[in-house]
Amino acid sequence: MAETVEFEGKSFNVDEDGFILDFNEFCPEWIQLVKKEEGIEELNEEHTKVIDVLQDYYKKNGIAPMVRVLSKLTGFKLKHIYELFPSGPGKGACKMAGLPKPTGCV
Amino acid sequence: MVDTVELNKLLDEYDSARIKTWLNICSRCGLCAEGCFYFLSHNRDPKLSPAYKVKKTLGEMYRKRVKADDRFFKECYEILWFQCTLCKRCSLYCPFGIDIASMMSIARNICMSQGVSPERLIEFTENSRKSGNHMGLPSEELIEVCEWMVEETEDEYRGVTIPIDKQGAKYMYTINPREVVFYPQDIGNAAVIFSIAEENWTIPSFGWDCTNLPMFAGDRAMAAKSVDNVYKKAQELDAEKILITECGHAYRSLAFEGPYMTGQSDGKPPVDVIHYVQLIDEYLKEGRLKIDPEKIIKEPITYQDPCNVSRNGGLWEEARNIINYLAEDFRDMTPNRDHNHCCGGGGGIMPMGPDFKPGRMKAGRIKAEQIRETGAKIVIAPCHNCFDQIQDLGEKYELDIKVFSFKELLLETMIIPEKFKPDGKANEKD
Repeated sequence: MAETVEFEGKSFNVDEDGFILDFNEFCPEWIQLVKKEEGIEELNEEHTKVIDVLQDYYKKNGIAPMVRVLSKLTGFKLKHIYELFPSGPGKGACKMAGLPKPTGCV
Repeated sequence: MVDTVELNKLLDEYDSARIKTWLNICSRCGLCAEGCFYFLSHNRDPKLSPAYKVKKTLGEMYRKRVKADDRFFKECYEILWFQCTLCKRCSLYCPFGIDIASMMSIARNICMSQGVSPERLIEFTENSRKSGNHMGLPSEELIEVCEWMVEETEDEYRGVTIPIDKQGAKYMYTINPREVVFYPQDIGNAAVIFSIAEENWTIPSFGWDCTNLPMFAGDRAMAAKSVDNVYKKAQELDAEKILITECGHAYRSLAFEGPYMTGQSDGKPPVDVIHYVQLIDEYLKEGRLKIDPEKIIKEPITYQDPCNVSRNGGLWEEARNIINYLAEDFRDMTPNRDHNHCCGGGGGIMPMGPDFKPGRMKAGRIKAEQIRETGAKIVIAPCHNCFDQIQDLGEKYELDIKVFSFKELLLETMIIPEKFKPDGKANEKD
């Protein structure tokens, strides 16, 4: 039950919750699209660090890291991750990093 | 291929006088239909009447017996998991007292015996089998998250601890694995609240998962094992009571269905089970937690009675007492308490994955309308499924609401005694 969203000349296949279905479709335009949805004004180095860590972990392990691991790898406290991504590490950061929606009661 | 031996075995096992009577005395009066949020949200489609749904599933299983084929089970699958959350509202209105929802649970069990159940629920059931929790986490992971949460509280509070496997605690606190993986702040927040209330509590290193997704998947043996893990650990630790996080079905499972699943002769859990709202209500009444009058919430606020906390758990007044302390503009939904509608995310539907979302959103229209009518800007939901579903409904139906658990709102409104402030004096009394 996928749908396609168009943004700045790119198209993305997303699931019902708006997560990219195929990680390979990730590109900088995707970040801009989610940034708008998340209501983040300017992306800073810390946002980028979270996204990089998530993507590296996903490429190595095929799943999103637990929040504890994300905090450890970035060195950011949980509260700070929520300041960066108001919807939280799962619904906000993983989505922006182009990871599929983590399974479970997210 | 249908496993006829297993099918017959289960049908015989459940073939009691009660089930026979229930299946035969229904007079099709339609009162159950008016009680069902699926029926109401789909233009009163007669096929969504609970009486019809149970006739088409369990009723047909008994009629067809071994002639049931794979196609039949596929039809049952659609009805049992896409058109019913086992919320038990229909059972409340049946003039003959037919417990329709319990029969739907039996039908899920029979389907599962044929390997028919939602993929994700089967996956979670297997995780429970292997690890004792539905996300398949090792104990070390839970312990590390607890340690991390203690560290995280240090900037704002002093003296917060999370005792693991402590013997003789008053409460053995059990949680949902999603808190460990995705929402560790739930554990941190609970620890702050228990520490400030100076509670004698512990989190067990095993038997800590209070949820029971095998119960919703229809795997009765594994559902019993999940409950037993918690009971046994509480006995081993000599805990006075088992305390459940803000989760709905965990309460139904551990307090009410668990004793029967595990064959307790008195129908009661071997260790008392209490829900989070009961304890917080007690803390506020006894003054162990105090609300700062300046922080009382002024925005209009409403409360989602989770089916398994209110209708099937009887705890509707406890929750309202808490809100009375926290907020000044409480607006109840209509209907409410034991008559409240399911949010549309119960019965295991919420963790089944994105494919189920369109159905959840459509069925949740009744809940969305109930919330909108209150004009509330804040919804409290002491159940993870209600919490997620109402958040999704808020976006879908543009309700302009924020959803909170009691833990979050308590931390925002309660008085932090001096000795728990990071710069406070450790020995000062209050």
